[in-house]
Amino acid sequence: MSESAVKAAPAADVSVKAQNSQPVKAAGDAKDAKQTEGAAKDAKPAEGGDAPKKLSPAELKKQKAAEKQARRAQQKAAGPALKEQGSQQKDAQKQQKGSKQAPKDDKSRPIPVRRRPSQSSAPVTQTLKKEPKADAKQVGLFFGHLYSQPRKHSMAGASKDVHPAILALGLQYSSYTICGSTARMVAMLLAFKSLIASYQTPMGTSLSRHLIQLLGIQIEYLRDCRPYSITMGNAIRWLKDIIVKTDPSTPEIDAKRDLLDEIDMFIRERVTAADKLIRELAVTKILPGDVILTYASSSIVEQTLLEAHNAGISFSVIVVDSKPLFEGKTLARKLANAGLKVRYFLITGASHAIKDASKVFLGAHAMMSNGRLYSRVGTALVSMLANAQSLPVIVLCESIKFTEKVALDSIVGNEVAPAEELLSESERQNLLPLKNLLPKSHPASKEENDGEGSKPPVASDVLKWIDASKNLHHLQVLYDVTPAEYIDMVITEYGSLPPSSVPVVHRLRSEGEKQLFQ
Amino acid sequence: MAPGVGLAPGLTSFLKSLKTSAADPSVEYLISLLKRRQIRNSRPCAIATAALISKVVGEFKGNDAARLLERIRQVGRRLTAAQPREVVVGNIVRRVLGLVREVVEDNVEEKLATGSDTGRSTPTQSQDLPSRPHLNSTISQMSPLRHAAIEPIETSAYASDMSDSTDLTKRPPLLTSHTSYAPSSAAPLVNSLFGLFSQPADSSTASTPTGPNSPDGRSTTHSLNLDRLVDLSRSQQYFDLKGEVMSGIMELQEELEQSDKQIADLAHEHIHANEIILTHTASTTVQKFLTKAAKNRKFTVVHAETYPHDNEATHEVLLTGRKQDAAGKTHDDDDKWKCLTELGIPVYVIPDSHVFAIMSRVNKVILATHTVLANGGLVAAGGAHLIAQAAKSHQTPVVVLSGVYKLSPVYPFDLDELIEYGNVGAVVPYEDGEFVDKVDVEHPLYDYVPADLVDLYITNLGGHAPSFLYRIVADHYRPEDTVL
Repeated sequence: MSESAVKAAPAADVSVKAQNSQPVKAAGDAKDAKQTEGAAKDAKPAEGGDAPKKLSPAELKKQKAAEKQARRAQQKAAGPALKEQGSQQKDAQKQQKGSKQAPKDDKSRPIPVRRRPSQSSAPVTQTLKKEPKADAKQVGLFFGHLYSQPRKHSMAGASKDVHPAILALGLQYSSYTICGSTARMVAMLLAFKSLIASYQTPMGTSLSRHLIQLLGIQIEYLRDCRPYSITMGNAIRWLKDIIVKTDPSTPEIDAKRDLLDEIDMFIRERVTAADKLIRELAVTKILPGDVILTYASSSIVEQTLLEAHNAGISFSVIVVDSKPLFEGKTLARKLANAGLKVRYFLITGASHAIKDASKVFLGAHAMMSNGRLYSRVGTALVSMLANAQSLPVIVLCESIKFTEKVALDSIVGNEVAPAEELLSESERQNLLPLKNLLPKSHPASKEENDGEGSKPPVASDVLKWIDASKNLHHLQVLYDVTPAEYIDMVITEYGSLPPSSVPVVHRLRSEGEKQLFQ
Repeated sequence: MAPGVGLAPGLTSFLKSLKTSAADPSVEYLISLLKRRQIRNSRPCAIATAALISKVVGEFKGNDAARLLERIRQVGRRLTAAQPREVVVGNIVRRVLGLVREVVEDNVEEKLATGSDTGRSTPTQSQDLPSRPHLNSTISQMSPLRHAAIEPIETSAYASDMSDSTDLTKRPPLLTSHTSYAPSSAAPLVNSLFGLFSQPADSSTASTPTGPNSPDGRSTTHSLNLDRLVDLSRSQQYFDLKGEVMSGIMELQEELEQSDKQIADLAHEHIHANEIILTHTASTTVQKFLTKAAKNRKFTVVHAETYPHDNEATHEVLLTGRKQDAAGKTHDDDDKWKCLTELGIPVYVIPDSHVFAIMSRVNKVILATHTVLANGGLVAAGGAHLIAQAAKSHQTPVVVLSGVYKLSPVYPFDLDELIEYGNVGAVVPYEDGEFVDKVDVEHPLYDYVPADLVDLYITNLGGHAPSFLYRIVADHYRPEDTVL
């Protein structure tokens, strides 16, 4: 395993250069680990699928170290986009450390980074065990087509070709540590960068061909962790495009350097610069005395509001939020810390909140080609209310979020979230006393008769009751589609547009790209 | 006064204490319960108020309708002041007031009928008619003569009784009228004159025409002098005012108990097979309605959980099929109904933010309500407006289930007054001190849903368009009671 091939490419960005060196090491370690793992596999071919579970403690340590390093690199790299998850991430890391000190129990190997408001102390093993059961239960109303397989919350069973940086990223996706379509895309590109930096073309194949294959494996893993966002899809398509176009005759070092440069360029152009332009444009829409209402949390809305505040415009903000992610809480906290006057409502109070608002600013997950906004579930409700009150609804959205996909409703294309997230830990706790009231036919009430007082009820029991009662389902999706008529303006780096212009911009953009490379 | 032993203060403990304690301490107790929100939501409030009023009426001494009205009104005023947003309390009080008026009216009418039959003092009536239509003549023809003849002993007893109590209420004209005419068996003219003078002091609302209120099409002339008749009844001891009012209250209490069942009986007319029905909060009425329909229809329920104020109750109802605090233990047997899931109805719980996303596939929205207002709008648990508006934009019919007792004669002139704000700690826990400190967190418990977002009301009387509600209001309340 010679590391000589990876000479930190002369990246344009200084910070990027700093990040590159770490993942290289990490990758080296991981490769070592993989080799031995491969040997182990040879010895027990029957247990190929379980191979990762049979690692020796030493190997485990190595692999974990590698992940940790990769994760650190990522945290640094993702920079501003990740800041909002800062505290959460720290928690996750703390937990991880805790798990390391604990005796190495190979059975419960998955790293318990999965930490979210709805699940604070429930042991991870339990959730893992439950997942197949949830599948057995009839799923999802008319969302059945969206339930493919439960989200992956561990690295167990991941292909050995998955880069450690990607492994870590996947876990961050599935635990919502990295959340928000732009943040996810940037984090993914940065992970790809470390992949490319440590990449070596095997003998007898070309970089463009093999790298694309390798990329496919990474993407598949990421998708298992959480279905990828529109932005990620756009970025992946773009990246594959430039990899394919790499001249096979260029030396590997040069080709890799070019790729890394391209990625940096892409991030700078499509995200950093775009955000700046949108921010500047959107700030002009905020007038003194305005009350800006926003839903959940969008990094670009946050930047805009902060910039307007720094520019000395006096206005106040209403943040409307909803369970289970409570993203708006983070936004409200940050705005309040910056000195803005912030009011905070949950979605059930939205009709009261909207009465006091003068403008609505929304972030986007994606803009569909039919002018509809695909965004965090609940956005449609807020824009509907605003529309009913004749308030302007302004969407802030980088053009990387434009897609040629169309959507009529929120059902055909959506992402299902694990149903158990619907009940937070404290809610489960509060529901516990109901045990004696459960109907006679319910399995849980019989169970109680068997082992009375043997163990105190645990909060996660509530989930079991719900699982067991065969007609009760909890349903959760992550996005909804806002009709175009509710949206008055879309602000992108190209300027302010009506939603009907989305396909035009998308087309111009993609044509421009094509021309660029021809 | 003391709450029941080992019971958390609430409806159950109140009903228990009502059995032992007197009316006045019970009033105080209910006021404190209402103020502390230990009795909340429409049904418990209605049950408690009805029970209290029946106690108040039961302990009322004398047969003086005006004083009974005043007594009930005074209790009602205090109760509504204790918790103005539980509109149902006022509704029940108004219903009882209307009841008293009706009892008096009925009896007077009967009296009138018998009076004209016997032909007594018909000449005076016809003489008076041109100048002062009907009013004085009725009174003069009616009163002391007859009752003095029938029950002379009882009358005097009542009269002395009343003179004492009227003293307390400080209404000199009435006092004089009583003492002057009651013992003397023949002074019809004096009585009528006093009645004339005492009228404005008695009730200022009497001047409003009450014509459209008489539910069974009683002649307007009679209802016009309603308040006069009430005065009159003071001297008319020939009927059992208290007994009739009490039985009326019993009927009202029965209605409270039966309304869910009656509404549920209409379920088959409104739910067809394989529907997808969206509902919200943990409403007993809605659950019973759906359960009834589930007995022989198959449909799907999508349930918005109404976070953060009703979510736990929602999960509770869906898991166990009943609400603990709904009617307390006394009604346990009634409240046992099989939960929907037991009946094979798939129930999908969704967070409130999903309403718009799901609405395009929903066939019908069924809303529970807190209060229905006279203009057809309603006050319901937070999130109801979102649901109704989303339904409107998807052209999905919105059905509101509500007992008639939730129907209020109040018009929503000031919406903010009707909305109650709840514990902020449920939105952001107080452990997050920094956040609570810097950010203005709000937690409105109720939403106002305008009438144009509702397609149909189903009450225990049947289905109505929102535009028709004013009629039902007019049938159940007297305009003179609208302001307590």
